[in-house]
Amino acid sequence: MNDTAASHAAPASRIEISRRTALKLFTGGIAASLAGCSPPAEKNMPYVDMPEGLVPGEPQYYATALPLGGYGRGVIVKAVDGRPIKVSGNPRHPASLGSTDVFAEAALVELYDPERSRDIRGTQPINGWTDFLGELQQWSGKAKRGEAPLHLVTSTVASPTLLGQIAALKQQYPGMRWFAYDPLGDDESARSLIPRLDRASVIVSLGADPLGSGPMQIMASRAFINGRMPESPGGMSRLYAIESTWTLTGANADHRLALPPDKIDALAMEIVGRLEGHPGSPLSLEKGARHFVDQMIADLQGAGAGGLLLPGPMLREETVQAVLQSGKRRGAPLDRAAALPAQLRPEAFAAFEEALHSRKVQNLLLLDCNPAFDAAPDAKFANALKGVPFAVHAGLYDNETADLCRWQLPLSHPLEAWSDLTSADGTVAIVQPLIRPLYDTRSQHEILGFYAGQTAPSGYDAVRQTWNREPQDKGFEDWWRDALVKGVVSGRSPQFTLSAGNAEISPPASSQSPSDASAADGSFVALIQPDPTIYDGRFTNNAWLQECPKPLSKGTWTNAVSLAPEDAAALGASDGDVLAVSSSEGKIEGPLRIDKGQARGVVGLTLGYGRTDAGAIGNGLGYNPRLLSPGFQNVVPGVHVKKTDRRAPIPSTQMHFSLEGDLRKLLPEVAPGGSLPESGPKPSLFGPPQPRDPYSWAMVIDAAACTGCNACVVACQVENNVAVVGPDEVANGRAMHWLRIDSYNIGTAEEPRHGFEPVPCMQCEKAPCEPVCPVEASVHDTEGLNVQVYNRCVGTRFCQSNCPYKVRRFNWFAYNSGQEYKDLGEDPMPARNNPDVTVRARGVMEKCTYCVQRISGARRDAEKADRPIADGELKTACQEACPTRAITFGNLQDKGSKVNARRADPRHFTLLEELGTRPRTTYLARVRNANPKLAGGSA
Amino acid sequence: MAQVFKPRANTIALAILVSVPVIVVLVFIVNYQLHASPYATLMGLYVDQPIPFSHKHHVGDVGLDCRYCHTSVENAAYASLPPTHTCMTCHSQLFTNVAMLAPVRQSLATGTPIAWNRVYKLPDYVYFDHSVHVKNGIGCSTCHGDMSKQPLTVKEKPLTMGWCLKCHRDPGPHLRPASEVFDPHVPDPHNDPQKAVALLRHYVIETGNMTDCSTCHR
Repeated sequence: MNDTAASHAAPASRIEISRRTALKLFTGGIAASLAGCSPPAEKNMPYVDMPEGLVPGEPQYYATALPLGGYGRGVIVKAVDGRPIKVSGNPRHPASLGSTDVFAEAALVELYDPERSRDIRGTQPINGWTDFLGELQQWSGKAKRGEAPLHLVTSTVASPTLLGQIAALKQQYPGMRWFAYDPLGDDESARSLIPRLDRASVIVSLGADPLGSGPMQIMASRAFINGRMPESPGGMSRLYAIESTWTLTGANADHRLALPPDKIDALAMEIVGRLEGHPGSPLSLEKGARHFVDQMIADLQGAGAGGLLLPGPMLREETVQAVLQSGKRRGAPLDRAAALPAQLRPEAFAAFEEALHSRKVQNLLLLDCNPAFDAAPDAKFANALKGVPFAVHAGLYDNETADLCRWQLPLSHPLEAWSDLTSADGTVAIVQPLIRPLYDTRSQHEILGFYAGQTAPSGYDAVRQTWNREPQDKGFEDWWRDALVKGVVSGRSPQFTLSAGNAEISPPASSQSPSDASAADGSFVALIQPDPTIYDGRFTNNAWLQECPKPLSKGTWTNAVSLAPEDAAALGASDGDVLAVSSSEGKIEGPLRIDKGQARGVVGLTLGYGRTDAGAIGNGLGYNPRLLSPGFQNVVPGVHVKKTDRRAPIPSTQMHFSLEGDLRKLLPEVAPGGSLPESGPKPSLFGPPQPRDPYSWAMVIDAAACTGCNACVVACQVENNVAVVGPDEVANGRAMHWLRIDSYNIGTAEEPRHGFEPVPCMQCEKAPCEPVCPVEASVHDTEGLNVQVYNRCVGTRFCQSNCPYKVRRFNWFAYNSGQEYKDLGEDPMPARNNPDVTVRARGVMEKCTYCVQRISGARRDAEKADRPIADGELKTACQEACPTRAITFGNLQDKGSKVNARRADPRHFTLLEELGTRPRTTYLARVRNANPKLAGGSA
Repeated sequence: MAQVFKPRANTIALAILVSVPVIVVLVFIVNYQLHASPYATLMGLYVDQPIPFSHKHHVGDVGLDCRYCHTSVENAAYASLPPTHTCMTCHSQLFTNVAMLAPVRQSLATGTPIAWNRVYKLPDYVYFDHSVHVKNGIGCSTCHGDMSKQPLTVKEKPLTMGWCLKCHRDPGPHLRPASEVFDPHVPDPHNDPQKAVALLRHYVIETGNMTDCSTCHR
């Protein structure tokens, strides 16, 4: 009706359509949408020739071993349809005892990492193994003639087969030199100790960290918890920790004192002197600290042969030796880890650097190590390495060192290669592959086989040859099969091996001497330690480990620079401020984390970050503390710390740590033999429970046994296809870990202490999350589980907000099904998923299910055999992984079950009991064995 | 002043008011019926296969037991299709040159599996386990029909959740003694309440948890 000019300016693209056509199109649209309603067609492809016993969908289990720091831990790996999908412990192996640590659980992500080195890389655009072998032949000829002697650099070697191969190569190539180093440092004597914590009644840790990450963590944790049982000989043990920064050992100690490294060193000598009966001049300490030390020494003296003084790697070599000698005289329960005999020992890394810089190295093989990052991250080393004419790097990734070398050889992962490994206590296990090599890789043995002149070396043959030295040995095949089934070798010893026991170790050439950390010039002492979840840099590209929260601070995706509160206040810095730490060697920058209880004048730094070529996951995270230290010194004095004006808040999964007032009920603590006040049954209008099923599942978690190692967190993630969300989402509070470990400050301001509390889903009998779901996706089943049905969930999130324990996790994005973090969705990563557990889509709520797939499997097996599920037959993933057996799971209706015994324990308590949710997951209180002469009990 | 709404506005308003709930209800009903119908469940649909394998011949005429080919049905979740080698146990000597069996011979020669089209398929969020059903007295023909009468494999039952629940709510009438589990001719359900109770006891079947969501959806 408005006849304006605008009505004449009709758009050219107007479609002329009649009503009839419109109706036709409309109906056609409906018909089309209806026709798209049938399910998609699917193919079913059986075998051509089925291998015996390989039923599709049924798991197979193989025993093997995985390395950490060179040493092996026995594991049993579950494979489905030819793909390994879960690592669990091997009960027969002493370094595993049926449990795992975070690194073993996360090893699968390394295997399926899309960024693993897949092809050989040389100088031409496309290279093959034949090209490499051609050049190798030339250089081998030169090496045999003595013109270019072979230089071999490795990290710690604990494989009898590899040792044999190196020894054979040394025979073949005159002038060959073998260098080996441990990225953690060359303070070997202190790192290679096995404390028998179950035989000690008083343990004093001088900066040692037996409960912390390392190849002996599982052994030490199990021994520790065995010693904490009240019925153990000598009663419950008492742990004193004297350290500079917080470690897991300090967090689990009954008494802790924070001192800088040089004072710990002096204190160690004082303690040794007093124990030996010739006290020198006492170290000057504050009154409280001096009282602490005196009482501690009295306790140690009273324990006699049950007293264990444990030296840490930050002490000087002379101090460590003094402590060890004194311990030997008193019969302390301390053993040396398995080590190489003197004639096999490699040279130190410093010798390699010297040879490299004096241009003596022309023929170089770097076997599974990354010195350009973790040993010598300086430009001089990089330039020297670039100048080596035949530098070959064999590794899992095309990393910083490979970038400087002429050849990069892709290495097979331990899960896809034959090998053998010695563990710290000397037990040997055969490493057997779970899957054929995914790419055109070769194992370490095959690469050394190439160097030995073989054209088609086989790792399998090499390993068998190590153990079968007499060709007429008729019992070998039976022995071999037995060793593979059990996962532990016994009854035979190879030619070259590590020997456990008290072998004397010669001190390293350069012994560190922490000088006085004089605060006069305002400088600090930097203490470099392995990262609790990244270790030494091997695992930087491992997304599960990056997202696994650090046990005490719950930070993720970066390392932090930790300072005592007074030092941070002096700098005017708060949590998350970027600090610049500089020494005479170099400078690093990292986010600050204020640690109450850290020694003053000490800067805590951790290894493993600051990589430039780790992969999409690991690049650009954190800082590399090796830039500060000359060589492998882990105690660096004279370090200056300045606050920059930038901020880099650390993504953290826990924001509040203190328990004050009423909150103290969350994690109560008792003395040994103590009990919690009886709560008694609450008045209720509900009648007694009427189970309609023979099983009522429940779980009891012993907070006293939890050392905070995080093995259960990663085990749950692996078993249940829990996604990694990345640092930004973690900062938003959206980390997906179904099981979290709450870390609380349970001490006082003067005496800070930590407590750990793993929190899975409580599986409440009166669950607040169930009545609020509008579509009944959160329902209760007859066995007591609170079940989350993913295909019903529409993503209201009412259940998450109603849960008082906040154990529910929401898929804000398709973290596992289309919107993965970085390259986690690329092939072959999806092959790692557990086929028994749904992979959740976006918009779906998920939570701990008490491993319902395992419950279902056990129930089906029992129903097929017409028998009930036995107590202990069914283990949840977290229960299986825990080194200290803190988690107990079982059937409440079975009167004799372990879980019922635990519930009757006087330490038993329920989380947030006053809310009336009646959780099936309950706890046992933390125990502190305090020295009555030292002030401060469990108040 | 002119009226804004014409008289027919009354009719239109009333029509919309009535038709909106009617349409909503109709949409629900039509949708439900559509998804329960053989159109969506593909029940009764004869599926073409690369080789026209006849269960009628192999089970009905030859008399093979189900487990000869579907070997893992008593031990695993998947019943599994037979590998080419199983076909060749007979067909390396019988009908060795028949054109219809050429794809089998080719599969054996080249090592390429035969790509069968799935007939019985449950969605991925359903975790079904054959072995626990077979071991507890559910016969193959209860869900798959009488295979000795099927020249080409056809989906005999709708396999909807409601259909599964019908048995899970009351499994007794669908059980059979262990000797009849692999017999394709046994009628189902048997409608004998005493037999139902006896079999439930014999197989020690716990019915309390059979309608839990977690039984099939995890």
